[in-house]
Parts: sequence; structure tokens; C-alpha cells
Amino acid sequence: MKVELENLTKRWGNVVGADSMNLDVKDAEFVAFLGPSGCGKTTTLLMVAGIYKPTAGFIRFDGQVVNHVAPKDRNIGMVFQSYALYPHMNVFQNISYPLKLKKIPKDEMQKRAQRVADMMGIGHLMDRRPAQLSGGQQQRVALGRALVKEPQLLLFDEPLSNLDARLRLSMRSEIKRLQMGLGITSVYVTHDQVEAMTMADRVAVMKDGKLQAYSTPDELYDRPRTLFIAGFVGNPPMNFLEMEVVRENGDYHARREGFDVVIPSDRGEKAAGKGNVILGIRPEDITISDEGTPAEVFIVESLGRDDLINMHIGEASIHVLADPVLGLKMGQNVRLDFNTHKVQFFDPTTEKSLLWA
Amino acid sequence: MAEAVMGRKVIRGQKPPSRWAQFKATMGAWGFMGPATVLVLVFFFLPVVILFVISLTDLSSSNFSDPLTFVGLNNYVRLFRDRFFPKILGNTFFYVAVTLSCFNVGMALLLALLTTHINRRAGFFFRLIWLLPRITPSVIYILMWRRISHQPPFGLINQLLAPFGVEPQYWLFEQPWLFVILVNGFVGASFGLILFSSAIEAIPRDLITAAKVDGASTWQSIRDIVLPMIRWPLLFVTTYQTLSLLTSFEYILLLTEGGPGLYTTEVWALTAYKRALKTYFGHNQWGYGAAWGFVLVIIGIAMSIIYLRVFRFNELVQEPKIDVL
Amino acid sequence: MTTATFESGSQSGVKRFLGRTLPYVLLVLSISPIVLGYAWLIIATFSYRTEGLFPIDAAGNIGGWTLSNWSFLTDPAIWRVTLNSFVLAVGMVIGVGFVSSMAAYSLSRMNFAGRKGFLSLTLLLHAFPSVTLLIAIFFVLNFLSKIPAIGAWFGYNTLGGVALVMISLDLPLGIWLMKGFFDNLSWDMERAALIDGASRFRVWWEIIIPLIKPGLAALAIFNFLSGWSAFLIPFTFTVGSKVANLPVYMRQMISDTAPTNWNMIAAVGMFQLIPVLIFFIFTQEMLLSVYAGGSKGGT
Ligand SMILES: Nc1ncnc2c1ncn2[C@@H]1O[C@H](COP(=O)(O)OP(=O)(O)OP(=O)(O)O)[C@@H](O)[C@H]1O
Ligand SMILES: [Mg+2]
Repeated sequence: MKVELENLTKRWGNVVGADSMNLDVKDAEFVAFLGPSGCGKTTTLLMVAGIYKPTAGFIRFDGQVVNHVAPKDRNIGMVFQSYALYPHMNVFQNISYPLKLKKIPKDEMQKRAQRVADMMGIGHLMDRRPAQLSGGQQQRVALGRALVKEPQLLLFDEPLSNLDARLRLSMRSEIKRLQMGLGITSVYVTHDQVEAMTMADRVAVMKDGKLQAYSTPDELYDRPRTLFIAGFVGNPPMNFLEMEVVRENGDYHARREGFDVVIPSDRGEKAAGKGNVILGIRPEDITISDEGTPAEVFIVESLGRDDLINMHIGEASIHVLADPVLGLKMGQNVRLDFNTHKVQFFDPTTEKSLLWA
Repeated sequence: MAEAVMGRKVIRGQKPPSRWAQFKATMGAWGFMGPATVLVLVFFFLPVVILFVISLTDLSSSNFSDPLTFVGLNNYVRLFRDRFFPKILGNTFFYVAVTLSCFNVGMALLLALLTTHINRRAGFFFRLIWLLPRITPSVIYILMWRRISHQPPFGLINQLLAPFGVEPQYWLFEQPWLFVILVNGFVGASFGLILFSSAIEAIPRDLITAAKVDGASTWQSIRDIVLPMIRWPLLFVTTYQTLSLLTSFEYILLLTEGGPGLYTTEVWALTAYKRALKTYFGHNQWGYGAAWGFVLVIIGIAMSIIYLRVFRFNELVQEPKIDVL
Repeated sequence: MTTATFESGSQSGVKRFLGRTLPYVLLVLSISPIVLGYAWLIIATFSYRTEGLFPIDAAGNIGGWTLSNWSFLTDPAIWRVTLNSFVLAVGMVIGVGFVSSMAAYSLSRMNFAGRKGFLSLTLLLHAFPSVTLLIAIFFVLNFLSKIPAIGAWFGYNTLGGVALVMISLDLPLGIWLMKGFFDNLSWDMERAALIDGASRFRVWWEIIIPLIKPGLAALAIFNFLSGWSAFLIPFTFTVGSKVANLPVYMRQMISDTAPTNWNMIAAVGMFQLIPVLIFFIFTQEMLLSVYAGGSKGGT
């Protein structure tokens, strides 16, 4: 099923939940809503579910406006962060509840519930109450309950954030596999960007109720259109340095005190002659080498596989990923090599990208 | 509303949200409210109106079948000119003030301090015993008190005080107010007791320990720490119980019926009730009784509004987090 | 935990001993009238007559225990009256339980036109001196009596009428209490049920009600006790003994018969107290919490 949001807005008095959201989800597509806490992800999702009434704007399912269609008539399944299982019902009753409400005959209900439960790997827990299940099992029950009525749209509201890291990882691939297998259009809310980047076909980045960007994970990562996206997507976050880009002898130089690198002309020409611009470069695109820009190690933070190192270049401060075997120490002087094919440029006042706008 | 306006703008094959559907949804909600609404209308709203209307007539059990005659504010004039009006007013003030300060707040606070001071189980036990009068059916409860205060040779007080050489007497008859206040106070105190003791138990122990370390005496730590910390429950119990006492008369009706003698322990609410519904001679002056009742209703409404304001009950109300009905 | 909360550090042994025991002495003294009253009731129930706390026989000596006060149990009238009391109590439990949990549900969880108004009204009625309306309710019941089908069941001098009045007057407290329970339930669960395909009514009945059973139970105890012990309203709106409940029946025994048999009345009282005491003993914690929960406005 195709889902379209048009100028979708939700307000409570002065509080803005979602502000003029425009986006579409293609049939069988997996879309993630990504954004910091309080940015309106849940609000938008609940409007799609029919729980909240939009203050303005439209929601279309396959071209039909469904603003006034009751949640139960929208043929959707939803999984909540808190699982939202019915504590007084056992697993079977929880999973089969949507079927019971549809007045499906008993034996068929039994069969379908069992099939979904088996698919989720909880077929042997049918008599247990939610309180007798682990978090992961509970989330599987919730997923089973959402899937059992074979919905045309699946909504997830941070379904994995109550699970421990290891379980989150396995559930992540499981959900993705299920969704691909069943081909159900899905909207997945999360504030975990790794989740969004790895699972989704397209990611909608939100901030303060507004849609900031909507594109594939690769595009968000490689071609951020705004300063916010560039800073928000990617971990550790992108470094930003204010500088000037000038053309000299046919080369484009990005310059500030203690810093002068040559930029490939396809990128440089867009930033040149614009006065002060913001250069962005991800920590993984900077390597420590024998020659290049001199910098001084300030703080070394171990991330396990890598060290995250805070360096000073003159007055500026940047983060770099480095191999722990280098054994860098505070105060040590090194040289940095910038992968200039990956630099970004932003206008400091409009905060828009100079490369991809 | 923006929503309604947008809704009517028909877009690509979508029928506008029918007003009928919205109406039906609202009706669905009122379906839940229905029974409560009907009962509130019939047994709160209607009675207030009826009470006022009757208070403007001379309706009584002797002219019940005649057409209503309106007498304007005569009943109110008569009320204020009543020979016993000052007496009843005074009684009401006395009753409310003394019961409230000595028992519903005073005793409740004292008991709360004592029961939180001692062992937890024991404190719970005493609180529970104090709850007993409240859940004892009023008729039985009064029966007990009558016996306690009865004339010789039946009364319990006489028997207990005999060894101390106290002259036996009919206590209820000699000291009617004492017993009216005791009887109501023993029921009233448990309300404050429960609220105060849970508030006191919620005070962080560190605070009191700190005061002790600073060398505060028991009395000082109560005055400087406990009382300020339970300010809200204190204020709440005081306002709420003032209203309850002002309008309560069941126990007085059962204990003394306002006697002994003329209007000795008669309070406002009892007067209204007796005038209108239970007179000795079977002559019920509904109109006049309603006037007494209506004045009390006005006081009650005024006080309820004050008490809602003071305690900002509206702020306790949260908004539903589901829009659809 | 025997350490006293407010005890100060440096005190002499005598003072400390006083600090320990004085509260107990005061508390025991404070409950003495209650204990005395109950003691008398129990003794009186099993004796011909009492002087003070002593049972007295015909000769005026201490003694004379008897079961004769309980002879009222063979009188069919008492059983009808008991049944009336029971019906009234159960009526209160069901009536207030149903009506207030429905109203409280929609007030707490539904966004409908008029919600705010009704909510403020409930709060207002909560503190409203409803007994002052009895005079006017008398007329309402009289009017209901005249309505053909309803009158016979819910008019003046009917058990239904009394029950209706009592239910109504208890509603504000019931709604407010239940609303407190609903307010604390998870929104996500209710959203999930709506998405699963349930109507609001089914959500209420199949999901919400099972979850607030403790709240309903507390409310039920409260209402059973107030229905069972009801005096003022049955007394005011019934005449004669056909629809009397136990408290009214007791009251009639006191005023009507010239030489009142106090000991038999005590026995009737004891009889009536049995269910109250059962609740008292088995639901202590709940009772205290009901009254504390009703705090935002009990009686
Ligand atoms: N029912 C409501 N009434 C009033 N304001 C609300 C309501 N629900 C959400 N809001 C506000 O709307 C904004 C968006 O909330 P929302 O729950 O959609 O955020 P979110 O992106 O899901 O955040 P999180 O990651 O913390 O779940 C917040 O400022 C929130 O306070
Ligand atoms: Mg959220």
C-alpha cells in the first residue's frame, strides 16, 4: 500500500507536534522516521494510525484520503516501544485478539495465530502471560499481534529501544527480513540512526516537527543537504570548520589559520568566492599520515575498535578516528591527511549545502 | 476549526467526512456518559431547581393537593425572623467550629503524629480502629454512644467513674453538646487521620534525622518540619470537613434529634430536614424547610467553588492522548 | 522499627521511657470509647439486660447470659429487611460501579465535546452538600411514582428509588476515584487495541475493566458498606416496614415500642455488623487505601 502525507500538521494549542509534513511511502517500502526526542515522530505515526486527528493536512492510503477513517478500518498493524501487550491475556489471546475482533472462526483463528507465533519463534509460549516473558519475547508477541491480521501497513514506534544491545541487533535483522519477505509497507520510528540507516530504504529526518530530509541512507550520508542533516547523520558526527575557499593557480584551496588543503575542483568551485563557508568532514575521512596539516592531540577516547581523537588545528578543534596501535598521546604532534573527495560545504547563514542544494 | 474547513474541501475522490459520522462519534462518548448524566440531572440539577421553587411557595403537607401559591421571599423573611434563628445559627457555628478544631483536624493531627511515631504495625492497628466508627452503621454507632452516656444504672460512664466518686447522672441529657461533638468527632477524625499520616510517612526520614542531629526537640521538629510539610493536606481537610460538618445532621438526628429541650443541639441542616420532612406532628412545611435548605445549598456551592479554586483541581486534569472516539 | 521518629538524642532514662510509652497510653485512651461501645454491644447481645458493662440477671446480680435476644432471627420480617439491605448494598455496588466506571472512562480517555464541562461539574459535585437536596429529591421521587412503569420500581417508598438516590449521590466520588485509576493506565495499550480493531466500548469492557479490577474492588467494598449501612436516605424516603432496611428497622424498634428491648436491638445491631466486620478484618489495607484514595474528596 502507498502512503502519502500532505501538509500533515498536528498542534495542541501552542505546542507543535508535527508541522506541515510532506512525504510519500511507496508500496512495500521500508521508511524510517529519524530524529531527536520530541521532534514529532510518534505524533506523525499516530496520525497515520488514526489515533490522533490531524489539525491540518491529509493522509492518503493508495490515493484515498483516510483522515476520518477509524483506526480499526485502516488495516494497519502497530508495534509500540512499551510492547503494549494486554497483561490479563496470554500470548495466544494477545496474538489472536485482532482476529477475534474480526469474528474469524475459532479454528482458523487458532491456525493463523499459531502460524504467526511459529514464525516469530514463540509458538511454544502460547499459554504464558506477558509478565512471564522476557522483553525480547514480549516484543515478538507484539510483532505477531501486529502481523496476524495481515495488515497492509506496519507501523513501528521505537520497537527495539527497550531491548539490550545484543538483542536489538538480532531483532533488527529479523524485522527487516520479515518485512522484505512479506512485502508489507512499513514506517519505522527510531532515534537510533544506525537502526534507521541499516534497515530503511529511505529515511525521513525530522526536527522540531518539520521534515528536514527524505532520501536513501547513502544519499543522506554522502550528500547531506543541510548542516543539521550532516551533523545529525553519522556517528561520530561530522567535523565543521569555518573557512574560506579561494582559487589559486587553477586549484581550489580551503584555508583558515594553520589549515590549507586543496579541494577537488568539482566541489571547490561551488564554495569558492562565497566568503566564509563551513567545511564539513567526517572523522573517518581524516587519516593520520606523515605529511599534511599539522595538528596536536588533545584528548584520546577509546571506542574499542578505534580511538576517537580530539585534535587542535590552531584554534579549531576536530575529531579523528585513528587506529589504537598508533598509541597517540596527549600533546603529541601529528599530521593529518584529508580525504578531500568527501568534504562538504555549507552556507553559514542559510545552513544549506553549497554542493547539493 | 481548521479541520472542518479543510475537510469540506473535497479532494481526489474522497467524500468529505460526514457530519453524521462525527455526530455519531460524539454520541458514542456520551453513551458512556449517559447514565451518569441522567442521574446527575435528575438527582442534583433538578432538585436544586425544585428546592428553589418550593422555597418560594407555602407548600406543606396540608395544602399539598391545592395549586401552588407563591409567597415570594416570605419564607426567607420568616426564616431570619424565626425566634430560634439566632439560637440555631449559633449552634451551627459552635458545632462546626468545635468539632472541626477538636476532632476533624486537631485530633486527627494528634493521632497522625502519634501513630507515625510508634511502631508501624501498631500505628496501622490504631488507625484501623479509628476507622471503625466510620464504617459502623450509624444507627448502631449511636446506640453505643447512647449506652455510654446513659442514665444510671445503665450508662457506661457512670460505671467507670463510680470508683472515683463521680455522681452518676444522665450524661447525654446533662451534656448534650459534649456528646454531639464526640459522636461526630470520632467519625470525622479518621478522614484527617488517614490523610495526615500518609503525608507524614511520605516526609523523608533524613529531614527529621537532620533536625535531631541539630538538637531540635520533638516539639520543635514537629513545628518546624512536619507541619510545614503537610500544609496542603491540612488545608484540604479543613476546608473539606468544614463543608461536611456544615451539612451533616444524620448523627445528631439519631442522637438527640436537636434536643433535649428546645433546639438545644439543633443545627441548620437538621432544621431544614425536620421542617420539611420529619416533624412530630406529621405537618411538613416543605416551602419553609426548602428555604432553610436552599440557603445551605448556596453556602455549599460557594464553598465548593472556593475549595476547587484553592486546590486547583483543574490542574489535575490531563488531556486524553487518543483523539478518535 | 521501634526507634521513635521524633525522639531527641540526649534524654534521661525516665524521659525516654515516657517518650516510648506515652504515645501508646494516649492512643489506647483515645480508642477507649470505641472499644467500650463495641464491648457493650457484644455483652448486651448475650444478656437479659446490662448495667454498664455488666450483664444483670432478674435478681439484680451479675450473670444471666441468654441467647433469647437472637430470637428475632426467627421472625420472617428480619429476613425481608436483611434482604432489602443486601439488595440495596448490591445495588450500590453494581450501580455505582457501572455508571461511574463508564463515565470516568470517557472523562479520562475520550476527547469529546462537553468533556471539560462535565469534569468540572464532577469536581464541583464532589464537594457539594448533597444531603441538603433531600427535600427536593422527595418531590422528584414523588413525581417518579406517578410514571406508570417506572413508578412501581423507582418511585417514593420503593427500594429502587432509594437505591437510585443513593447511587446518584455517590456518583461524584465514584467517578473521581475511578478516573484516578483510568488516568494511570497505559495509553499505548489502548491505542494498540483500537488499531487491533476494537471499538471504544470493547476496549473499555475487554481491556480496561480487567485491568482496573483492584480499583473496582475497592470501590465495591466502599459502596457495599455504604449501601448496607444506609440510614438517612432509606429512612427519609420509605414508610412502614415493607421496604425498610436493617438500620431503619432498628430505628423503628427504638422509637415505636414503648419499653424498648435494648438488648434485642443490640443483637440486631450485631447481626447487621457481621458483614461490616468481615470486610473490616479481611480488607483492612484496602479500606484504608480507599479512604486515602477518596482523599481528593471522601466523606
Ligand atoms: N498529547 C499531546 N499533547 C500535547 N503535546 C504533545 C502530545 N503528544 C506529544 N506532544 C508534544 O509534541 C512534541 C512531539 O512529541 P512526539 O511524542 O511526537 O515526539 P517523538 O519524536 O516521538 O519523541 P520521542 O523520541 O521522545 O518519543 C513534543 O514536544 C511533545 O511534548
Ligand atoms: Mg515517541
